[in-house]
Amino acid sequence: MPDSNAPAEALRHRFLTLEILRYNPQEAGSLPRLQSYRIEEADGMTLFIALNEIRTRQDPTLQFDFVCRAGICGSCAMMVNGRPRLACRTLTLDYPDHITLTPLPFFELIGDLSVNTGKWMRGMSERLATWLHGREETVDVTRIEERMEPEVAEAIYEMDRCVECGCCVAACGTAQMREDFVGAVGFGKIARFRLDPRDTRTDDDFYEVIGDDRGVFGCMSLLACHDVCPKNLPLQTQIAFLRRKMAMVG
Amino acid sequence: MHDRILITQAGLAERTRKSRWPARLDLLQSATGLLLALFLCGHLFFDSSILIGKDAMWVVSKFYEGYFFFGKAHPWLVSLVAGLLFVVFMAHALLALRKFPVNYRQYRTIRAHVRAMRHGDTRLWLWQVYSGFLLFFFGAAHLYQMAFWPQLIGPHASSDRIWSDALWPFYLILLTVAVLHAAIGLYRLALKWGWPRFSRPVLKFLRGTLFAFFLTLGLLALAQYMWIGLLHSDHYGERYTPSWAAPETQTAQGETP
Amino acid sequence: MKTILTDVLVIGGGLAGLRTAIGAKQRGHEVIVLTLVPPKRSHSAAAQGGMQASLANVTNGIGDNEDIHFGDTVRGSDWGCDQIVARMFVNTSPKAVRELAAWGTPWSRVRRGDREVIINSQKVTLTERDTAHGLIAQRDFGGTKKWRTCYVSDGTGHAMLFTTSDQAIRHGIEVHERVEALALIHDGARCYGAVVRNLITGELSAYLAKATAIAAGGAGRLYRVTTNAVICEGMGHALALETGVAALGNMEAIQFHPTGIFPAGILVTEGCRGDGGLLRDVDGHRFMPDYEPEKKELASRDVVSRRMEEHIRKGKGVPTRFGPHLWLDITLLGRRHIEHNLREVKEICGSFLGIDPAEKWIPVRPAQHYTMGGVRTRHTGESPYLKGLFAAGEAACWDLHGFNRLGGNSVAETVVAGMIVGEFISDFCDRPDNNIAPPLTLAQEFVRREEIRLQELLAANGQESAFALLAEMQDTMTRCVGIFREAEGLSEGVTTLQRLLQRSGNLKLTGKSWGSNPELVAAYRLKRMLKLALTIAYGAYQRTESRGAHFREDFPQRNDRDWLKRTLASWPDEDATLPHLAYERLEVRKMELPPGWRGYGTRNYIDHPDTPIRQAEVERLREKLDAADRFAVQEALMPYRDKLPAVLRNHNERLDEPLEDNAHA
Repeated sequence: MPDSNAPAEALRHRFLTLEILRYNPQEAGSLPRLQSYRIEEADGMTLFIALNEIRTRQDPTLQFDFVCRAGICGSCAMMVNGRPRLACRTLTLDYPDHITLTPLPFFELIGDLSVNTGKWMRGMSERLATWLHGREETVDVTRIEERMEPEVAEAIYEMDRCVECGCCVAACGTAQMREDFVGAVGFGKIARFRLDPRDTRTDDDFYEVIGDDRGVFGCMSLLACHDVCPKNLPLQTQIAFLRRKMAMVG
Repeated sequence: MHDRILITQAGLAERTRKSRWPARLDLLQSATGLLLALFLCGHLFFDSSILIGKDAMWVVSKFYEGYFFFGKAHPWLVSLVAGLLFVVFMAHALLALRKFPVNYRQYRTIRAHVRAMRHGDTRLWLWQVYSGFLLFFFGAAHLYQMAFWPQLIGPHASSDRIWSDALWPFYLILLTVAVLHAAIGLYRLALKWGWPRFSRPVLKFLRGTLFAFFLTLGLLALAQYMWIGLLHSDHYGERYTPSWAAPETQTAQGETP
Repeated sequence: MKTILTDVLVIGGGLAGLRTAIGAKQRGHEVIVLTLVPPKRSHSAAAQGGMQASLANVTNGIGDNEDIHFGDTVRGSDWGCDQIVARMFVNTSPKAVRELAAWGTPWSRVRRGDREVIINSQKVTLTERDTAHGLIAQRDFGGTKKWRTCYVSDGTGHAMLFTTSDQAIRHGIEVHERVEALALIHDGARCYGAVVRNLITGELSAYLAKATAIAAGGAGRLYRVTTNAVICEGMGHALALETGVAALGNMEAIQFHPTGIFPAGILVTEGCRGDGGLLRDVDGHRFMPDYEPEKKELASRDVVSRRMEEHIRKGKGVPTRFGPHLWLDITLLGRRHIEHNLREVKEICGSFLGIDPAEKWIPVRPAQHYTMGGVRTRHTGESPYLKGLFAAGEAACWDLHGFNRLGGNSVAETVVAGMIVGEFISDFCDRPDNNIAPPLTLAQEFVRREEIRLQELLAANGQESAFALLAEMQDTMTRCVGIFREAEGLSEGVTTLQRLLQRSGNLKLTGKSWGSNPELVAAYRLKRMLKLALTIAYGAYQRTESRGAHFREDFPQRNDRDWLKRTLASWPDEDATLPHLAYERLEVRKMELPPGWRGYGTRNYIDHPDTPIRQAEVERLREKLDAADRFAVQEALMPYRDKLPAVLRNHNERLDEPLEDNAHA
């Protein structure tokens, strides 16, 4: 934290140039271009703060998405200097004074930095049936819950931490070329439910949803997903694990 | 089978239960790759026997011609191996082709992606595409030659081919590209299947070491062949006779004593 | 005009909205959920610490049950809550946890044997029972007598939200993302749906439904310093308020969370203190025991927040150029614990402060956190003023929280309310007389009205910037309607807000796009937010007592004699600059737990004349029923079970309370 005699320091803040991709698909004749904005850096400035400052002070038409601004909801993923990141968790301090911001590739573009990840994620969920397939249709909720080993619960949560931000898919070389690719987010979900003793699906069932080139056999193990995941999910080992299991089904 | 064809023609393949083929093909791609990479390593070791001496290389080449089993060299054994490898090679190429960018749009996208992302492993994959593409030609040509002229392997025969037939640029490229492709390939194979269970930094180190080691080994061997070829250029076509054999048994037909 | 028909329209895709939707869908009704952002991005995901449910699995939870949870909730609310609703809630909460467990939430589990924990800065060894091994674990939270907070590491809300959202997908519930309800369609007596704007294309449509449920969360963004997500702008509240008919309850009851990261206001969970974290001042001194010798850091949030501000006022804050702050010290919990159970905290500290909380103290100061007030409803979730309008979760005031909500009760409330309101809303739709013909003409009128408003905004050529006025409002709220309130500041706040409301009629927009246009969104929300802010400021100004989170320095006593009542704010005259306030009495004579001391905070209140009478009555009843089981006693004191939907009336099984022994249902 800045100490009390910091104000003099404030005068020496850098000026940042943010080069932002502007494009509005709603507008006829709109062409994608990069627009530069100059702002003065502040202590602890994140891209959330920077972008909002640009929007309130310089350009009210600039489109971007933030929700929790605390790195837990996954709304604000964008390409920062070419790599997908959660903008709210990006301190400008860690970057040179020239920062490029572009929308996540792969997803439907809404405008400027805003992309429709939600729509794609829902489609992915429906396609992979990413919900628990329990034994019974209804449970008696007045009864003591089914037991689970603490380690198992922890392992499930480890994979359950995914926030569906889309960074993994935006970073994925395969997905850039094959738009029907499931992506690491999908594999993560399958790995999560596969771990869950409450789920009744077998590897044969999982094979039905990820056992092809749109699924786990399409993955080329470039592992950009693993490297950019803001939640540090163990995607590398989980995808390899799924591949082994699915190969055994084949 | 017939049903399947008709259902697929009707565009309903996706609606049936999933085919087991993607799994098998994926395994096959990895298996063929592994086989080729391992072969390459062995191959380079055998080639580099020349660094020990012409006799060593002569023994290795004769060994593969079955000389020590049958008492007589059978170069067709080499042809057989080369032929089998050619099949594996083509299978691997065919399977790997599935992952290549198939049109300009895809190529442009992936190239821009690699450039903007500056992500090591993604860039390496593009290198693998490039090296794999070159191997279509260089690897195929090399295998073809070995399959049809197997007798042209030997301390002098190989050196003549490399130097006097001026094939060293070909081998220089083939060596670099093949070692690169194999090193990256083995690394990615380990990541793909999660085995061996080394961490990524360790795997990256192994990948670099493997690449450097085999490239150095190959280059040294190549240099040695070039040097021998240079010295031997006046006797182009003459085969090598091991130092322990009588010089008068040399024949022009092959390197058999 | 595009018209979309459905049985149930749910506005808001967080936990409350989704669970309500699932409930209605399971009962066979068509449901559409409207949401500003994809449901999994909702602010429910931010609830880190956990959800209260009296499962009594862990050693320190043994003996816990609905009665104790009820008592904690009522005391926490400073007797401002509806005790019937609190009873309904505590009986349903264990069911909600268990339902989520069956749906896939990876609740953290009890491990048998010894483990070391930090209690009151001492290392203590707790021994978990063999019989509890593998059951859902509980942790300690502020304002509770037992360890009752069920959790999923420190991502409870996230895990619950993803489970519930996945279930909604499983049930094929239609979710319309990136749309915003601009107005409720109503005729002054009944609600028929909403006018909805597509935030991408700008298209307006009418959604017509038998029942409409508001589950749009809180209004934290009325304040400058808040833990809330940027979408928590109270637009659900505003929808109801703008009808002029529906009322908002207890809007002045705003909770401040003790540990917002300073100065950004990002939340660090109460779990930090629950697990043994301490608050320290500029000298590194642990000051909470000086003020609250019994509960210390784990008194209820309003008390801890107030004590912190009090301590800062004494000059004990750490000075910085952004103002003073205090320290949250969790270093004593150890790296292993932090990296396993408080990982989110570690990540947040790393990304926003650049510090490692296992080694350094976290700078914190109270920040706006929760809106106890909301759309006033009956225990069924239906508005008493507008038929067919329901509300659930933080946007609602069925009145579980009164003037202060307990940590872990909000995320519990979302799913519990969803379960209960989902049933009642289905009952409502099932009644043949509610099967109305869609009022197309009325819908057209409402859509047209909104269209004109938007066009006027776009065409307006005034002097004011929507963003600037918004910032001024947030500043005013944080300055004048914060933790410590008094007449002068509040009156200044009200006047400033009124002026801002007038100025908001004189906007000028730079971007003229009809479609995706962030400035236009800010502009049309501005007036609504200002009106909401006024219900808070004006309600706080009028309430001349201190209760729960509402603390008046000029009236520091809780005054049950004059103020044991709920504020109801409505806005009948659209052009007025003040809300209409009315008050609803809380019946002491019917309370299971008559007002008294909370057990923490200052013991300073004026009794209601009925309190001693009821107290005696309660004691007499308890004595008389001494031999009876706790359910019979409760039934005699305040019958409530008939108020619950039939499917939720049963008792809850516990290790020490087998179901066979007490099943009355």
